[in-house]
Amino acid sequence: MSSLNDVAGPQQRQFNPYTENGGTILAIAGTDFSVIAGDTRQSEGYNIQTRYAPKVFRLTDRAVLAVNGFAADGNMFVKKVKQRLEWYRHAHAKDMPLHAIARLIQTMLYARRFFPYYVYNILGGIEDDGSGAVYSFDPVGSYERETCRAAGAAQSLVQPFLDNQIYFKNQQPAPGTSFPAHLPLPIVLKLVIDSFTGATERHIEVGDGLEMYVVLAKGRDLSGLEGIVGLQELSTKSDGERIFVIRRELKKD
Amino acid sequence: MNTFVNQFSTSSALSVIRKAQALVDDDEEFSDAAWGSEAGFGNLAKGVPSFSVPAVHDPTAFLRLHTDDHADPNCRIKIQHGTTTLAFRFQGGVIVAVDSRATAGSYIASGTVKKVIEINPYLLGTMAGGAADCQYWETYLGIQCRLHELRNRERISVAAASKYLSNLVYSYKGMGLSMGTMICGWDKTGPAVFYVDSDGTRLKGDLFSVGSGSTFAYGVLDQGYRWDLTDEEAQELGRRSIYAAGHRDAFSGNTCNLYHVKEDGWRFLGNYDITKMHYEGPGDVPGSAKTGYGYDVRVEGRVSSAAPAVAS
Amino acid sequence: MDHFPTNWGRPRNDAFDAYATFPIHQRPSNGPKDAFSQGVQRTQQPIVTGTSVLAIKFKDGIMMAADNLASYGSLARFKDVQRLQPVGEYTVIGAGGDMSDFQYIQSLLDDLVVEEFTNQDGHGLGPKEIHEYLSQVMYGRRTKINPLWNSILVGGVKDGQRFLAYVDLLGTTYSASTLATGYGAYIAQPLLRRAVEGREDTLTQEEATKIIEDCMRVLFYRDARSLNKYQIATITASGASISDSKALETSWGFAEGIRGYGAQTQ
Repeated sequence: MSSLNDVAGPQQRQFNPYTENGGTILAIAGTDFSVIAGDTRQSEGYNIQTRYAPKVFRLTDRAVLAVNGFAADGNMFVKKVKQRLEWYRHAHAKDMPLHAIARLIQTMLYARRFFPYYVYNILGGIEDDGSGAVYSFDPVGSYERETCRAAGAAQSLVQPFLDNQIYFKNQQPAPGTSFPAHLPLPIVLKLVIDSFTGATERHIEVGDGLEMYVVLAKGRDLSGLEGIVGLQELSTKSDGERIFVIRRELKKD
Repeated sequence: MNTFVNQFSTSSALSVIRKAQALVDDDEEFSDAAWGSEAGFGNLAKGVPSFSVPAVHDPTAFLRLHTDDHADPNCRIKIQHGTTTLAFRFQGGVIVAVDSRATAGSYIASGTVKKVIEINPYLLGTMAGGAADCQYWETYLGIQCRLHELRNRERISVAAASKYLSNLVYSYKGMGLSMGTMICGWDKTGPAVFYVDSDGTRLKGDLFSVGSGSTFAYGVLDQGYRWDLTDEEAQELGRRSIYAAGHRDAFSGNTCNLYHVKEDGWRFLGNYDITKMHYEGPGDVPGSAKTGYGYDVRVEGRVSSAAPAVAS
Repeated sequence: MDHFPTNWGRPRNDAFDAYATFPIHQRPSNGPKDAFSQGVQRTQQPIVTGTSVLAIKFKDGIMMAADNLASYGSLARFKDVQRLQPVGEYTVIGAGGDMSDFQYIQSLLDDLVVEEFTNQDGHGLGPKEIHEYLSQVMYGRRTKINPLWNSILVGGVKDGQRFLAYVDLLGTTYSASTLATGYGAYIAQPLLRRAVEGREDTLTQEEATKIIEDCMRVLFYRDARSLNKYQIATITASGASISDSKALETSWGFAEGIRGYGAQTQ
């Protein structure tokens, strides 16, 4: 393309287009809700660049995307996903279903197979059947539906904790009882907060602030959210799925 | 004076070139499919999709530098690797068995990966190598197989489907794709298994195993394989082979997914925990001996709970 | 900067220039054997460079500062360069890194502002819009593997809203009440945070000037690529103003008694 560059002749081109901006994200699916969370610290090396840079984004009333890795790639990727979702709304006069967003994200990531977005994505929300869902992606687009997933700097600290507390890995049920397949919302919120306070204690790139997005299935009451301080609603309609965000402080050292 | 005029004129040569370039760049970024006219549908249906490639002398070296964790454990972009998959043909159809572990370096990124890709009700693909490469291209293959059905009023043969895939990945040879897959199914010729990998190799055969744990799986598979295996025996052989690989290969493990392809298409038989198979066996399923594959064999008579018989 | 403690304390390696301050092309790199650090080689490396830019929020708006030096490697080549630039009515940008790339960015922004002006629609570009534009340009160029080698602070006030944000050659962006680029991120940022955080809405212009001045002084003491001649930009609701160059008051008397600083004979 560029005539200017061609005139300039051969260029020495070696430059590292990637960096790593720390932080951790996490999502957990319930029977009729999803929680998607991320810390708000952005760092490079040992520098904290800012204490508030969101990593979790509302896409639609029933879909939330968390991105982690190289922040510039992450922001650009979210921007492009939102753009595609808007075009879908213009064409179909409705929001794209969650499983379709997941596939869209796969094709968008894979389109950059040879120059990847250095971004780990976790998509959370509510499926058409009203169930809570979490989809996790690798940087080039392989994805899987799961019940819970942690990604980013402290994934290796948080994921084992989640395996133990959500999947009850390496636990034995009391005689005559069994483990629940899905946990109730108040317990999930507590686990998310504990995950991040724990990661903040033991990982230098995690901390400052915590943003938890909660997506509730259509018609579900607000049980589990009552009395939570600083609860903020982001939904555009009151008769569909509803989205809330909860913000908490994390240690800043 | 001239530079001053140039700098502030929006019609100067420099800014005209700049704007023209900006237009050209915009065109490169988006196809018509992306802009409203096709309402932002995916890029899959429009033939082979286009990929952006970094503007460097050697894009492959660039990709290797940033994504290949075998060459350098420090590289940041981890592509999931490590697997045991197997498929074999016998008188009763095709057995497909895989493990479910995905590793990124030494971290177990997931223990619940679906490594059997359900291309359509008669075709299965397995996943070894890059998870995204396999998922994406086998989904793409699924689309092409459906188009073949619509155009020709009959299902695509396993041979044709696998050849479609192998030709496709061959066109990307050297670009860094990584996949080792078995395309399994049932067509007019009966059960069929084809091995296809990202080097462009395509092999027809009765029995394949792919991945870091394949040697262990082959060991069990080869000693137990016969053409006239019953369905139950064949299913048990698949399970037992994946168990062996999961037990001995660090990059394989967690659970085993088992599929059986017959004349009326594939059927998912179950998900078996490999640790559980070690101690207790796969449970009450057809073909199983209902005992642990590994534990009892080793400790029988050697622990206090099962004390050795007193020598007479 | 090599951030990994295990690599510290080794014999100094002159072939590895952590701050890219030396303008000889393609020197051998003996950095740590890490794929990412290995990748840190440059397209066009920066040649004539500016060092840190500082900026803070205060009661009435934004204050930004940068010195007047453009270095050619370790040579203090140009000592009267202005690195702060007003853009439109509400915004000032300050740049570190390659000065020719900065001049190109200035010409881009000039075009942008002129075009916006000719529309005569009563809408002027505010700091938010300028920053968004710049971050798209910077990210676009990094994606073409042909970056504009700068780190830029964008500050301004529009519609009663203060805005302060950062963008660099990779397209990385962020916003905070105190920002510093380059060496300033290591030396001045902690001082700025201690002085400003929690007091953004009460600091007066005089206090803000004092804080900035103190940080510029510390930077001049410790940053070998800095100059004791600098400018301060102040952006408030009434517009942007950039001061004339000021000289820093410094005292080196303390050095006399310290071995290694002064004129000791042994």
